Amino acid sequence: MLLSASLLTAACSGSDDTSGEEHFSSTGKGVFVLCEGNFNAGNATLSYYDPETKKVENGVFQRANDRKLGDTGQSIILRNGVAYIAVENSGIIWAIDAITFRVKGQVSATGTRIINPRYVHFVNDTKAYVTDLYSPYINMINPKTFTWTGAISTKQAESRGYCSTEEMVQVGKYVYTNCWSYSNKLLVIDTETDEMVKEITLSSWQPKSMKADKNGKLWVITDGGYSTDDESFSDNIPHLYRIDAETGVVEMDQALDSDEANVQIEMNGTKDVLYIINNDIYKMNITASHLPVRPFIEAPKDAKGRRHKLYGIGVNPRNGDIYVGDAVDYSQAGVVYRYDANGVLVDQFRVGINPNHFAFK
Amino acid sequence: MTRWLCHILCSMLWVPIWAQEVVHLDNVQVVAQRRLKDVGVEMTKLDTVVLHENISLSMADILSKNSTAFVKSYGRATESLVEFRGTSPSHTQVTWNGMRINSPMLGTLDFSTIPAYFIDEANLYHGASSINLIGGGLGGAVEMVNLPVEKKGWGMQFVQGIGSFDTYDDFLRLTYKNQRFTSSTRMVYATSDNDYPYTNRDKKTDVYDKYGNWVSSYHPEEHNKSGYFDDLHLLQEFHYDAGKGHQLGASVWWTHSKRGLPFLSVDYKDDSDFKNEQRNNTLRGLLSWNRIGEKVKWGMKAGITYADIGYEYFTTRQEMKTSITSSRSYSNTAFLSTHTDWMLTPQLMLMGGVDVYYTHVNSHDRSPFHIGKNFDMGRPEYHANVQARWRPWKVFSLAGVVREEVYKDDWVAPIPALFADVILWQPWNVVLKASVARNYRYPTMDDLYFQPGGNPDLQPEKGFTYDMGVEFAVKKARWTLKGNATAFDSHIKDWILWTPNTKGFWEPSNVKKVHNYGMECSLDGSFLLMKDLKVSLAGNFAWTPSKNIGEDINSNDASYGKQLCYVPKTSANVNARIQWRTWTLLYQWNHYSERYTTTSNEVNYITGRLKPYYMTDLSLEKTFCWHQVDGAVKGVINNLFSTEYVTVLSRPMPRRNYEIYLTIKL
Repeated sequence: MLLSASLLTAACSGSDDTSGEEHFSSTGKGVFVLCEGNFNAGNATLSYYDPETKKVENGVFQRANDRKLGDTGQSIILRNGVAYIAVENSGIIWAIDAITFRVKGQVSATGTRIINPRYVHFVNDTKAYVTDLYSPYINMINPKTFTWTGAISTKQAESRGYCSTEEMVQVGKYVYTNCWSYSNKLLVIDTETDEMVKEITLSSWQPKSMKADKNGKLWVITDGGYSTDDESFSDNIPHLYRIDAETGVVEMDQALDSDEANVQIEMNGTKDVLYIINNDIYKMNITASHLPVRPFIEAPKDAKGRRHKLYGIGVNPRNGDIYVGDAVDYSQAGVVYRYDANGVLVDQFRVGINPNHFAFK
Repeated sequence: MTRWLCHILCSMLWVPIWAQEVVHLDNVQVVAQRRLKDVGVEMTKLDTVVLHENISLSMADILSKNSTAFVKSYGRATESLVEFRGTSPSHTQVTWNGMRINSPMLGTLDFSTIPAYFIDEANLYHGASSINLIGGGLGGAVEMVNLPVEKKGWGMQFVQGIGSFDTYDDFLRLTYKNQRFTSSTRMVYATSDNDYPYTNRDKKTDVYDKYGNWVSSYHPEEHNKSGYFDDLHLLQEFHYDAGKGHQLGASVWWTHSKRGLPFLSVDYKDDSDFKNEQRNNTLRGLLSWNRIGEKVKWGMKAGITYADIGYEYFTTRQEMKTSITSSRSYSNTAFLSTHTDWMLTPQLMLMGGVDVYYTHVNSHDRSPFHIGKNFDMGRPEYHANVQARWRPWKVFSLAGVVREEVYKDDWVAPIPALFADVILWQPWNVVLKASVARNYRYPTMDDLYFQPGGNPDLQPEKGFTYDMGVEFAVKKARWTLKGNATAFDSHIKDWILWTPNTKGFWEPSNVKKVHNYGMECSLDGSFLLMKDLKVSLAGNFAWTPSKNIGEDINSNDASYGKQLCYVPKTSANVNARIQWRTWTLLYQWNHYSERYTTTSNEVNYITGRLKPYYMTDLSLEKTFCWHQVDGAVKGVINNLFSTEYVTVLSRPMPRRNYEIYLTIKL
């Protein structure tokens, strides 16, 4: 009887993952929330939130395209109605329609110098730079045709991390990128010659996030690296820098608290106010000489006083709404808090695992 | 006559000479009194018939098909970890001939690297019962044993296997036995491209017309990328009976393994551009001496384990070599052990032992993406145990075990366990068993020392386990039947979990409190239906809710009371064997229920759960005898119904595949 029961169940089994493709038409001014997922699990997802109706749709990439987003979603950026999503450990950059969420194209690692793409920066309509965690090159793609067009050497020694490249900002004809992994450098790329032309060396290690303000100043925050037993690697203290992009001169250098800080910088739409995650959310005018002592928004605490882990930040350039991702335990659906420009909590909603990046339509 | 039958029975059951047996000859019903050693113990015994089912099977395959343990496999011939009762793989302790072989760095053992043909007997100790064998097995323990050669004179066995995906398996065993001396030499070589095809449901290929308009899309047919393997194992054993109860043994086991690490199903990189490979050399050596007296058995063991693991991940595209990971880990473990069993009276047995391990690990990464050594550290461990087993009445037995462990200079609180069993109905050997134990697992060397991330302040994981069950065994002239059902309840606190931090690396901490409870059942019978026709049926079923009941991280934490990630609530397997003259048909079926991939058990979450699956394998074997040569030809169909399944997210498993084996024995 056991045998026949098991034969029957075996005969009935099989994959039925043919859910098909769902149709979306999100014409509002919504917010994409990229959820990184867990490394090596292939469970990155994309959520879409409508601030008007306060409705969230989770997993929209898979639902619209009947395929997974990939492993370790790193960044999302919008341009001309298309969202470009760098999925790091899958080695792919997706381009999806911002209304239907349908795939319009993709650039994968094959045939390029892309390994683990991190961020996309648009130089113009036909040229975009792609930074990379492992590649000693910044790759160039055509965002219209979704083709790889070349690569820019970072010209860094192999001894430490090839100065893997992260976020990018553009001031004039120069694109600046911060080298996070085991580095203390910013690289400067001439967008006319597509060459790395200059390095800026910082006093602190691992510049993790960078933005440019309206005055052409670079705001850079490091995570301070970490130390090992046999070889000390920095001091674990994050620093905040203001650097003159043109001269490369460091105009401000402030050491921050080192306690479990997930340091990130965002800028408002007019590029005159900084928002920084350093455990809590700090707000700083670009003319201020130092980061305020008191946070603008304290990380939410529960009834037992336990602080939530802030994982990602985005600021809506249109109205200044602040979106903050809470990773919870890094292995369950994360939470996004939406604050208005005054720091008042407006809404909170569940998304995917590890919400880390936002894009505003 | 009775004595003669007793000796046969002893040798069949591998029980000590002082174990008691009662044989009723009138109706050929055997009532073998339980060994004092097994009082209250929940154990699954896998014998040579099961272990040597076919040459291509690893211990991971055997356990998934023949036990209630959950095997978390990352692919065919890829890392396979074993979990008991919803605990983690590091809660499964593993010994080989009495020496612990878990990785000192990770605390786990990759069972896919253990060829089942190298093991002659495997005993699975469930829950508290593992304390009889070793400490730290919060889920259980696997005891793997090599047995001395039985066949006198020279012997040879050769098996050639050929399978799908360019898979070749070779097994050679040479044996020799005289009155006092036995030698066994075994070799297993397995190689495969392992590039099995699968329909990639995680990807979709779009088809466009010449104007660039989307026409259609389909899930592409892909191959397992970078899944190749090339494994060589050699095992040499000597046993010498020096007379007067003195037995000497020596074993050396060397493994060289080169394995590609398969790409995820969501990886868009080309495997020809990347090398993602793990190379592993492991040498285990063991010397043993046993003195078996009338009432006292005394044994000593000395062993070593050397392992080097190299992991390379790099790309050489467009003349650009980028090394992403280039890690090397070297571990050396020295082992000394002494154990004594003392049968004071037929009703009272005392046991005790001391094990000493010294492990040194040197782990580093030469890639430019890592700075400094992971760690370079040595750690001594001292384990001592005393055990008392008492049978005050014929139907009632009691056992107590206390273990004490010291890691470096850190004394773990004593590990006590109590076991009891009562014979409820002797004709069918119906026994009620119960146990209670407090167990610990000390953090691994990676947990404590790995740079960056290691946390030297970690506390040992602690747990209470309660078991109660019933088992029976009956043997009639034409059939035998045995079975058991056990309920268990286990609380583990200070569960160690690695979580990512904001610097980009992972850190362990004591974060969870877990409640595991459930039931394990097994039934095993064989029936002689007519002359030359025998049917054997064996089945296992486990219901293992395993819930996080630790303090929530914060008010957003929805993981409280939820099933642990990747732990199936139910699992089952059935093995049906039909033997007719020289033919054997084997049907194997196993099932794992749905598994969650998030701690909050998101059911609406697209990648939040893995679907249940049912797996069926079928084999047919024909044995033959030609002059002095015994042989067999066997055909195997794995995954008979070509089920598409995964046991880990984004790690597709092979569909239907085939193997054929030719065995020659001299």
